[in-house]
This record gives sequence, C-alpha cells and structure tokens, in this order.
Amino acid sequence: MPEYKAPLRDMQFVLHDVFHAEQLWETMAAMEDVNRELADAILEESAKINESLIAPLSQPGHEEGVSWVEGVVTTPKGYPEAFKQLADGGWGGLSGAPEYGGQTMPKMLVLLFEEMLYSSNIAMGLYLTLTSGAALAIASHASEELKTKFLPNMYSAKWAGAMCLTESHAGTDLGMIRTKAVPKADGSYSVSGTKIFITGGDHDLTENVVHLVLAKLPDAPAGSKGISLFLVPKFKVNDDGSLGEANGVSCGSIEHKMGINASATCVMNFDGAEGYLVGEINRGLQGMFTMMNYERLSVGIQGLSAAEAAYQWSSLYARERTQSRAPSGPVNKDGAADPIIVHPDVRRMLLTQKAYVEAGRAFAVYVGKQLDLSKFANGDAQERGAAMVELLTPVAKAFLTDKGLEGTVHGQQIFGGHGYVREWGMEQLVRDVRISQIYEGTNGIQALDLMGRKIAANGGQTLALLVAEMREFSASAAAVQGMDEFVSPLTEAVDNLESLSAYVLEQTKNGDANAIGAASVEFLHVMGFTLYTYMWAMMCKAVLSGDCAQGDAFAQAKLHTARFFVQRLLPQAKGLSESIRNGSASLMDIPEEAFI
Amino acid sequence: MPQYTAPLRDINFVLKDVLKSDKHFASLATREEVSEDLMDAIISEGAKFSENVLSPLNQPGDQEGCTWSEDGVKTPKGFKEAYQQYAEGGWPSMTANPEFGGQGLPNSLGLVVTEMVSSACWSWGMYTGLSQSAARLLEVYASDELQQTYLGKMTEGTWGGTMCLTESHCGSDLGLLRTKAEANADGSYNVTGTKIFISGGEHDMMENIIHLVLARVEGAPEGTKGISLFVVPKFLPDENGEVGERNGVHCGSIEHKMGIKASATCVMNFDSAKGFLVGEENRGLNAMFHMMNSARLGTALQGLSAGEASFQGALAYAKDRLQMRSLSGPKNPSGPADPLIVHADVRRMLLTQKAFAEGSRAFIYWVAQLVDTFYFAGDEQARKDAEELSELLTPIAKAFVTETGLESANYGMQVFGGHGFISEWGMEQIVRDLRISTLYEGTTGIQALDLLGRKVMGSGGKQLMVFTKIIHRFCKEQQDKPGMAPFVTKLVALNKEWGEITGKLGEKAMANADEVGAASVDYLMYAGYVSLAYMWARMASVALDGDADDVFLKAKVQTANFYYQRILPRTEAHKIAMLNGADSLMDMPEDAFAF
Repeated sequence: MPEYKAPLRDMQFVLHDVFHAEQLWETMAAMEDVNRELADAILEESAKINESLIAPLSQPGHEEGVSWVEGVVTTPKGYPEAFKQLADGGWGGLSGAPEYGGQTMPKMLVLLFEEMLYSSNIAMGLYLTLTSGAALAIASHASEELKTKFLPNMYSAKWAGAMCLTESHAGTDLGMIRTKAVPKADGSYSVSGTKIFITGGDHDLTENVVHLVLAKLPDAPAGSKGISLFLVPKFKVNDDGSLGEANGVSCGSIEHKMGINASATCVMNFDGAEGYLVGEINRGLQGMFTMMNYERLSVGIQGLSAAEAAYQWSSLYARERTQSRAPSGPVNKDGAADPIIVHPDVRRMLLTQKAYVEAGRAFAVYVGKQLDLSKFANGDAQERGAAMVELLTPVAKAFLTDKGLEGTVHGQQIFGGHGYVREWGMEQLVRDVRISQIYEGTNGIQALDLMGRKIAANGGQTLALLVAEMREFSASAAAVQGMDEFVSPLTEAVDNLESLSAYVLEQTKNGDANAIGAASVEFLHVMGFTLYTYMWAMMCKAVLSGDCAQGDAFAQAKLHTARFFVQRLLPQAKGLSESIRNGSASLMDIPEEAFI
Repeated sequence: MPQYTAPLRDINFVLKDVLKSDKHFASLATREEVSEDLMDAIISEGAKFSENVLSPLNQPGDQEGCTWSEDGVKTPKGFKEAYQQYAEGGWPSMTANPEFGGQGLPNSLGLVVTEMVSSACWSWGMYTGLSQSAARLLEVYASDELQQTYLGKMTEGTWGGTMCLTESHCGSDLGLLRTKAEANADGSYNVTGTKIFISGGEHDMMENIIHLVLARVEGAPEGTKGISLFVVPKFLPDENGEVGERNGVHCGSIEHKMGIKASATCVMNFDSAKGFLVGEENRGLNAMFHMMNSARLGTALQGLSAGEASFQGALAYAKDRLQMRSLSGPKNPSGPADPLIVHADVRRMLLTQKAFAEGSRAFIYWVAQLVDTFYFAGDEQARKDAEELSELLTPIAKAFVTETGLESANYGMQVFGGHGFISEWGMEQIVRDLRISTLYEGTTGIQALDLLGRKVMGSGGKQLMVFTKIIHRFCKEQQDKPGMAPFVTKLVALNKEWGEITGKLGEKAMANADEVGAASVDYLMYAGYVSLAYMWARMASVALDGDADDVFLKAKVQTANFYYQRILPRTEAHKIAMLNGADSLMDMPEDAFAF
C-alpha cells in the first residue's frame, strides 16, 4: 500500500491564489487572529500528523476491524493512542467556540484538515469529525449549563460525540421514530429506545461518549413535528466535571459492513438513560439543521479524500508499471514495455480523477467560504452566504461522493487485477467511500432537497443568485487573455442550468407532482458539472492572471486539466439534461406489479 | 440476503419469442436437436438447482472464503457437495462434443443455465465455467491423443481445468511472459515458471485439475509470437487414464480479494512440471484468443447475472420498505408511510437496473446464438457472417455489460440505503463480487482497444457495417408498425451517427496514432448503448404483437420507452467526448500528473 502525501501545494493554490482567503478573513472580526502564515502552518502540521500517524493505521485497521465482546467495543490496534495524539494536538477543537476552549478557525481551512484526515483514514477520521459535529449542535442549541459541562471536553477530544437518529424502521423518514423521552421531576428526561447505524456509538478511544439522540415526548405530535433532541452521555457527569455513574446506554452489537471496518457502527440501546433537552421541545430536527450542513459537507469531503488517495496511488502506479507499447511508438526503449501512463485510455482515467479531485477541492473550499460568510460576516454578505450554503450543501454532499466513488473505481481499474487484491489498498478505497453516498441522507435525498426545498420552494431565487454570480464571473474573466476556451463552456453550462431548472419548475407548475423526483438526481449532476466548470474557470483565471504562486509547471497542468474537463467530461451534462427534458412519464407509467 | 428466483418468463420470452430459438437450433448442423420440451426441462432443472442448491451457498461462501494450506486449497462448506450433485446431473457435459461423451447441445442453451448459476453464486460457477472453457479449447486444438486422455474425464466433470496466462509482470501484455518449456526426448515438455491470478488453480472440488499454460519454448521468438500452449495436469494420468503421479504444479498462495472470495485465486508454481504441447509451437495465443471470445462472453454474463440478482433484491425491498409519502399523495394511506417504489428516483434506479438486465440478457443470448452459428451452422456464408459479427460484438458485450452491471449493482445497494452497506443483506457482496468483471479477461480498456482498433479500424469499418446493416434492415421492416415509431426514429438516427463517428475517428487516427486509444472507451460505451437500443426495439416489437393486456408484455414496451428516453441520451456525451479528440489527454507531460 502506497503512502499518502497531503496535496499541500494544491490546497495553498486554492486557498490563497484562487479564493484569496486572507483578504476575506480580514473582513471578519472573528477571524482577526487568522492569517496566511497561520493557515499554512496548520496545513503543514496537519499534513505531518496525517501522513505519519493516521494514514499508516488505515490498512491494518481495515483488516483487523472493530470487535464487540459482551457490549464492549474495541477499536483496532493503535487507534486509541493515535486518537489521543489527535486530541492532544488540538485537532478536535479547530472549529470550536472560543468561550469553551475552541479555536474558531474558518471552515475553509478546517475542511482541508478534514480532507487530509479522511484521505489518510476515513474510519479513524469519523470518530473525530462526528465529535466536532455533535459539539457544533450543542454549541448552537444547548443551554449554557450543558455547553459549559460538555463542550470543553469535546473540543479537547477527551470525550467523543455521536449522533443517534436512525431506527431500524426509520432512516430517511425520521418522522416515524419511536424512541421515547419521559420528563422527570428534576427537568431531565428518561430516554428509552433502540438506535441503529450509530457511527462511533461506543468505542475505547475516549473515556466518555456524548450522544445526541432524537426522541419523542409521550404527548408529542405525530411525524417530524414531534421530535426533540437530547444529550445523553454514556457516563453521567458530576457537577465538578468528573465522570459519574454509567448511564443506561449500551451497545447491543456492531454491524459487519462493506467498508470503514475500523469505524464502529453500533446498535445503541437506551434503557431509561438520563437525557437533557437540547433546544426546544419538538424542535429537535431544527437543532440538527445547522450541524447538518457542516456534516454533509464533511461527508462530501470523504468522497474527495478517497478519490485523492486513489489518484495519488494510481498515478504513481501508472508511471511505474510497464505493459505494452505506446500507440505512437516505444517511449521506454530500453525497457521491455512502456509505463502504462503512455496509453491514452490510462491517461483518460487519470485525468478524470484529477479533474474531479481538483475541482472538488476548489468546490469544497468554495462551500466552506459560504459557511464562513454565513457564520462570521454581517448584513447582506451573511445572508447571501447562508442562502448559498443551503443551495450548495446537497450538491457538495452528493456530487463529491458520487465522483469520489467514480474516482476510486478508476484508480482501482488502473491497477488491473492488482486493484482487486487487498494488499494494494485500492479496493479498500472503493469500499470505504461507498458509504458516503448513503449516510447523512442518501444522494437521492440530497437531490430531492436541492430540487424541491432549495430550488422549487423559493421559485428558483437562490439558484438565480448563483447563476448571476457565475455570469458576472464570466463577464469579468472574458477580458483575461486565454480565458475564452473556459468561459464559453461555462456560459453554455450556466444557460443550460437555468433553462433546465425552468423546465422542471414549469412541469411542476403544470401539475406533475413527480417532475421534481424524476429529475432530481440528474439535475444535481448537471449542477455539479456546471459548478465544476465554474471552479475550473476560476482556477484558470488565477493562472492566466498570474496569481498562481506554485510555479509554471503547476500552472500549466491546471490549464491542461481544465481543458480535459471541458472537452471530455463536461459533455455528460448534455446527456443528463436531455434525459431530464424527456420528462417523468417513462418513470411513472409502469405499474408496480410490472417491474418483475 | 436476497433469495434468487430464476427470471423464467423473461428467459423464455427472449429465447423463444425474440430470438426464435427453434429456428436457430434447427439451423445448427452439427449439434443435437433441441425440442421445446427438452429446452424447457433443461431450463427449469437449471433454475431449481441454482435457486435451491447454489443460492444458499453464496453468502456463507463469501464469509468463509477459501483456505490455503500446504496440502492444497479448501473451498467453502457445501461447494464440493453441490459440485457432486451438478456432475451427477450431467451438467458439465451439456455442450460438450458427443465424441467425448458430451451431449452436444448448443452453447446458447448452455449459457442460459450459466446465467442462472452465475446469479445464484458466481464464485461457485467459476470452477465449472473455467473447466468447461478449457475442455472446449482442447476439443478444437489438442491432438487426438490429448483429447482421448483428458476429454472424457473433463466432459463428465470429474476433472476440471484452468487457464494460466498472467505472470506478475505481465497481465495485459502477454508478450512479456517468462514461463519456460523445455522439450523432453519423449515429446513432452518440462514447464517452469510462476503464474498469478489463476482462478481455480487449486481446489478440492474435482479429483484432478488440467492447467492450460502459456509458456515459451527455448529459442522462441520474443514477444507474442513466441508463446506456446501446454496442457499441464495436476496429476499425470496413469495408463488406465485415472489419476496417477503428482506433477510439479503447486499452489503457492491464494489472494485476499475484494470479492469472489469463494473462488480460489491462486499463485501457481510450475517446477519442471510435465506438459504437453497443444497445437503448434509458438501458436499458443491463437488458440487462447479463440477460447477467449467465449470466456469473454462468459464474463459479460457476470454483469448480467449480478445485475439481475441485485435488481431482484432491490425490487423486493422497494416494495416492502415503507419510508416517506409519495409526492403525488399517499399510496399506502393505512400504513405509516408508502413503499419506496412510489418514489420517482427509486423507480429511476430500479428501471435502470431492469433495462440493463433485460437488455443485456437479450444481447448476450443473441451473441451466443451467433457463436453457435459460427461453430455449428450448416450454411457456410451464415458461419462467416456470424464469425465477423460475433467478433465485433464480443468486446462490446464483455465491457459494456460488466460496466453497466456495476452501475446496476450500485443502484441495488443504494435502494437499500444504509442496509445496503451491511453485509448481512447481501447487496454489498454483489458489488464486491462483480467489481472484478471489468478487470479480468481483458480490462474494459483492453476490450475497447480490441473493438475500435482491431475490429472496427482493423477491418476498415467493414466489420461494423455487418451490424449497422442489420440494424438498418430491422428499422426498415419496423418503420410503419404501429407503436414502433419512437424507437425506430431514434435508432435510425443513432445507427447513422455511429457510422459517421467511426468515419471521423478513422480520419483522426490516420493523423494521430493516439486517437484510437483516446476514443476507445467512449466508443465502446456508445456502441453498447446502441446495441442495447437495438435489442430493446426488437423486444418492444415482439411485445407489441402480443396480448395487449399482458402486464409482462406491456412492461416490455414501457421499459423500452424508459431506456430510450432516460438512458439512451448518454450517447450524446460519449459522442462529443470522443470527437473532441486526443489532445487534451496527451498534451500534459507525465511529470505534471502529480505535484
């Protein structure tokens, strides 16, 4: 299994040369201590710990997996020690609120740490990022008392967090959950029920696990309007902050899965466990929403991360493995065959990975920027950022993970038969990334969220903001010498996106209740392709305007890859759009019994 | 774990109504006659065996895997017993030559049984499939003496076979292989070398394993022109034709893989093992390539059979699992939520699976008929045409059906949500098992080069025209038939466009040697979508002739419609991508791939 090397140069290019992060941070009061120097130092430290400590644990962890014996969950060898080093390094509190010991770093930066963490080891990464996610929900919605009691130890990753939503009969449809919370005289609640698919529900990495549990009060309204959110610790916490007695929370079993074998996916039993209300009664789902935007972006980054690792290893392999001669004549004359990178189709697979990964990274940072604006900016910029977060989050989650799977499959394919054999590590990437298309809302759900809630519900207003932004960019970029080959496809893609959304909204208005569901996944992909065209155009503009500080070869590679993207990958948007414009009838006409 | 149920209605529809198997069988001069009763009996017995014996072995086999020790490789519990039943049932001899005890039935019928076996338990089916492939090769290429020695046992299924091609430094590029064969005075050879990735190289299901090994005779020319083919048995047959002395062939280890864990993937060490030349010296690849066409069709079948199994699992789950309400209002008002199948996007995934599985079934069965015709037809011209056409279509079938099969298996998993990722539900195993199919027997990239480089460009486009003429003729016949217009119009346009694209690529290729490789996979996928469009139009046409109230036949037309409206637009993307040319692939210097 090859080594992971953090793509620091590309990260710095995106952060500084494309998005000019420092200038943005200067406009935000909360970011007054953050500058380029600090950002680069964090990236470098992050690269070190992930490359040298976290990545080497990935393959052995995959082979060993997590074990469950009589309710006790044990992570693979080396995991507790490594997690402690992450904790001691302060990596759990990067985004945390300062009044409880967090470091308030911008998401634009923190997500690059997450990228490295997941590229190194998704299974290990999850324990830390879910803790940050739970902390974020607590910071956003819990009482002062709960925050003071729990946040400092979560930021320091002394305690871990877990999100307990799914039950066996209720995954996508949380309105059906049955876990109950009965109020007690002291203001706390007694929580009972069984949750499944709880990532990091129990483990031996930390001394306590803080569960955020969705449950219903006895008299709660039916459906999603009757769901409340509770904080339920594995061990109760005394008033002095020390650990108290065990709460009624236990892990009933762990799942055997396709991948992320080192991540404990738990069945969690709550048996009259003491819980504390977070936010208001029956407003539990709202309490999840802020956190969910961050979580969904984070899951999207898992797709990016796995694809980055697959690209690194397959591009290395393609330069070392010799097999057959180049079509245009031998390149490696002294050898028995040429390195496979000379073959056009191998290049196609490599460039496909590269084009998606680098656009994906830029897109993730772009969404991170919107999250930062929504949190740290004021006035219009804040509002606009918040609207963009809503619009872009489902695309980030679904498109990054769909392209993540595609990237890892290409990487595996380049290895030929060796890609199928475990020791080479390529099959693990495919298996680990596959879950990212499913959890945190399947990609089908993301697409419905995008098309239904984020576009149709507001008559396409937020989308219009994005469309206007992209057009404005095109207009300004057109003046830069050499940009035409990237601006023209962008203009065409933006026009298409606009007319396509208008088509679907029109069908909906004309009474086709299935128009949105029938178009949604393909639409999300068309939007993803359009946004990636935008990202490539922005990166090319940085290069052609002389903003790229990474040297000429790096800059030229950006132009090459962008060219490949618009010529060889972007055409897919055409096929997808045509499919959408053929309407919903062919999906809905066939009766259920005729499927077999 | 989904219980496999053989899709008998569709199998019969494709075989009898679309592909007119009765006429086809009657046209084969050198095969046994196949009555409808016989065909029905074979298919229904094959279905029972697959459903009842093999399907239950699939998941435990994945979990247990194969185990290696100095004494050999142990297959999972139940595999050996199932094989005994299979052999006793006479299945290994079904399509074998009657001269060696075979039943002489057409391959296109054998393939139907293989599909069912494959859906039920692919790993198990590999042991039998590879054995039969090896036997077919010997029937054609081996000397009388070798045939007499080996084919009886192989036909009855007591002995199995393998193909030993790959070495650690050579997979796609067999010209690099190093395994040596030294001639002995008695006409035999001593074979020495190490082969990797040998499926079924060692196992406990059969009493002997007959390896077909590619090796170089001393002094042979370099590259692919110096490769010869040898029979190297695990046990040398004694004078009575029974298992005798152990030969110098041993399994050094087995691979730990993403999937097909119950299939032993072996490192095979040949240490002066006694081997016997098959055919002529230095002509080993010719025999192998001949064989490879049928092996590739067998691998194509993996895409179909896994796609079918995944579809069955996903469909049952989508009807059963209640989650959310339909956007057009509750469909299951008395329940807490509606079944998943009401949701448009779930239907999109299911219909994509259905369109690929049924379209691929028709396509593969048709290609199998062409292969039959090529081997066994009485009419010389028909044989020649079938040879050309089957050679063109085989790489399309292999790569397109496995690529779309993988897409389908991923949809099947996706329909299950989180449960799809959990091993006990069986959906993730389908993805893991199937993933190998775009790699072995020539990767998708290699198939695409074979299609566009060797078959299409190599014949100056003639081989393609054999097919486009058939489509053209079909469209002419169908153009006025009520209900066929939407299909025919689109198919005519695509058929014409396919020729135009080929012409343009031909021009580009003359100026730049990289154009073929740069276009190849997009070209193959394009070809696959058009091929399935042709099969779907044929199925729709037959369905339109039938009972208008028959739900099955109506669904055929509706699925064809879905395929044309929602899947076929993908051709546009492939067309633009390949016509945009090689430059954007080739211009970037090697060093710029990583910083």
